[in-house]
Amino acid sequence: MTRPAATAPVLTRSIATSPNRPTSRRKYQRYNALQTRPRCSHQPRLSAISRRRYHSHDHPAPAGPFTPAEAALLSAAYHHVPSHGFTPESLALGARDAGLLDISPSILRDGAFSLIRWHLHTQRASLAGKAEKLAAAEKDKPMTVAEKVEALTWERLKGNVEAGIVGRWQEALAIMAQPSYVPTSVKELAQLADEIVYLAGDVSVDPSWYTKRASLSAIYAAAELFQTTDQSPEFRETRAFLRRRLDEASQAGGAMRSIGEWIGFNAGAAVNVLRSKGVRI
Amino acid sequence: MAARTALRRALRPLRSAIIPSEQQLHLARPFSTTLPSRAANPSSSSSSSSTPEYAIPNPARPTHFGFETVTEGEKRERVAGVFTSVAESYDRMNDLMSFGWHRIWKDHFVASLNPGFSPLTSDTDPRGPQHILDIAGGTGDIAFRMLHTAHVLNANPSVRVTMSDINRAMLTVGKQRSAELPASQQAALSFVEANAEDLTRTRPLHPYPSPAEPTTHDAHTHKPEQAFFDPATATGSIPDASVDLYTVAFGIRNFSNIPAALREAHRVLKPGGVFACLEFSKADKHPLFNSLYKEWSFRAIPLIGQLVAADRDSYQYLVESIERFPSQTEFRDMIVDAGFVVAGEGYEDLTGGVAAIHKGMKPRA
Repeated sequence: MTRPAATAPVLTRSIATSPNRPTSRRKYQRYNALQTRPRCSHQPRLSAISRRRYHSHDHPAPAGPFTPAEAALLSAAYHHVPSHGFTPESLALGARDAGLLDISPSILRDGAFSLIRWHLHTQRASLAGKAEKLAAAEKDKPMTVAEKVEALTWERLKGNVEAGIVGRWQEALAIMAQPSYVPTSVKELAQLADEIVYLAGDVSVDPSWYTKRASLSAIYAAAELFQTTDQSPEFRETRAFLRRRLDEASQAGGAMRSIGEWIGFNAGAAVNVLRSKGVRI
Repeated sequence: MAARTALRRALRPLRSAIIPSEQQLHLARPFSTTLPSRAANPSSSSSSSSTPEYAIPNPARPTHFGFETVTEGEKRERVAGVFTSVAESYDRMNDLMSFGWHRIWKDHFVASLNPGFSPLTSDTDPRGPQHILDIAGGTGDIAFRMLHTAHVLNANPSVRVTMSDINRAMLTVGKQRSAELPASQQAALSFVEANAEDLTRTRPLHPYPSPAEPTTHDAHTHKPEQAFFDPATATGSIPDASVDLYTVAFGIRNFSNIPAALREAHRVLKPGGVFACLEFSKADKHPLFNSLYKEWSFRAIPLIGQLVAADRDSYQYLVESIERFPSQTEFRDMIVDAGFVVAGEGYEDLTGGVAAIHKGMKPRA
């Protein structure tokens, strides 16, 4: 079966270099054994699978959200974003470049917001390739998961600079904040956080699966907003900002863990004291 | 949901009565609007060069008129009869039936197409001014909004709109209403009579009834004037690849052969041109709302038609034809089948699916 998204095979390879691989692999193999063959050949199965909202070794990635016609229009229009912003002008100019008419972009249901979705999607999809490069560079000195998260988040922020849209991003945020677009925007942010945590090789399956993604989403959104007003060369201030936020998060996480441990220890001790007094617990 | 099941139960004997056997269904295709699935007919999905049999108009082929089965030729005449009789009260009835909400749908439809929009560059578009063809334009609701958006909001007075309808009575009402538009917009507007299934034969609007009306004393010697367009009297045609935007609002449901009309739309559009359709659809996703909606449409609308327009049968046909129209995804597949490409789902639900906007683009050859 051909995997619908180009990112999927790359992901498997980049994860193969992760130090966590052996233990996690065995778990997945057991899971695999439960899944019988039709997984790869059945259309209905695939459509059920394509609803998944998270990364997985065992399910193919869902097909991209853009039809070929949309992709042609949006990729042509994307080149005009640095000069014309996320606007109908960019879409119409892109349509002209693609040999279509000024009216052609009206088939896009969300107009300029489609262009923002295109930006978010292509940038997110390109992270897998960047993760592969990071993994190749990692051979000399292994990185921790936290370091990889920081590096990948920075790669994603650099993507905004490379696409030349940093100056236009405040407009885009304004469009994304329109009530009918908020759910899609939030979903994109969640998917980005999931992508980064996944590519960094995090394999936790406890409640921290959620807290990691939630805190990274918040940090990424803040850093991106910071980036739009950053005037420093090579956006150094943004990177420093990102590091500070991630450190704070890990400190807060550490503090929360300590508090949890303290409560757990004392609760255990209290139970033992009560038992020693003859209480039947 | 209850109303739906009841309806389906009531329809079952009717359906079996009009579909004598499975075999005949395959041979004669009594329901021209229900396409075989794309998988069953893969050759036609890529191009319209080889027109499948069901997309060639045939006056003798059975189709449906509301819940009845009639031939395509008969449907054309009966639809003409319906709209001739409702032409005068059409706008008032629309307001009553939809609580005025059809105006919101139409405004949204036109705003989402944004006709006349052009990027702010110094050079003008080398492909010439936009030409919009409003099929089943009737009383002009869509065409006038298009003109306003293009000329006033987008400051693009070169946009031309052609209103077309098979029914002279409806188009005459549209022409009368257009007298209230600014002169510049009137100049950009033209009226043609045409059958959307064959746009190679058109003629400019001959107002109905004719201005040279026979005087009362010899009226009985003349046959009553035909209200719908007769292709034999055609004087013009709409050439291939001449239209930027093809719109049809609340009209395609009444066509005798929808696949043929879609292929004709594909023919007249320029590469990159957009087919846009606003039509009643299915609100199945919201069962509770849907049952209320069905109650309203099957009980109240024919009654309002009887009270306001003194014409129950026409409005009974209206609600039945809405019920028989394919669902959002089926109609989207028909559009793709005719050679269009779509973005995303290919449709947008309005008011929970009571109406839906379908859009398709003619790809570059």
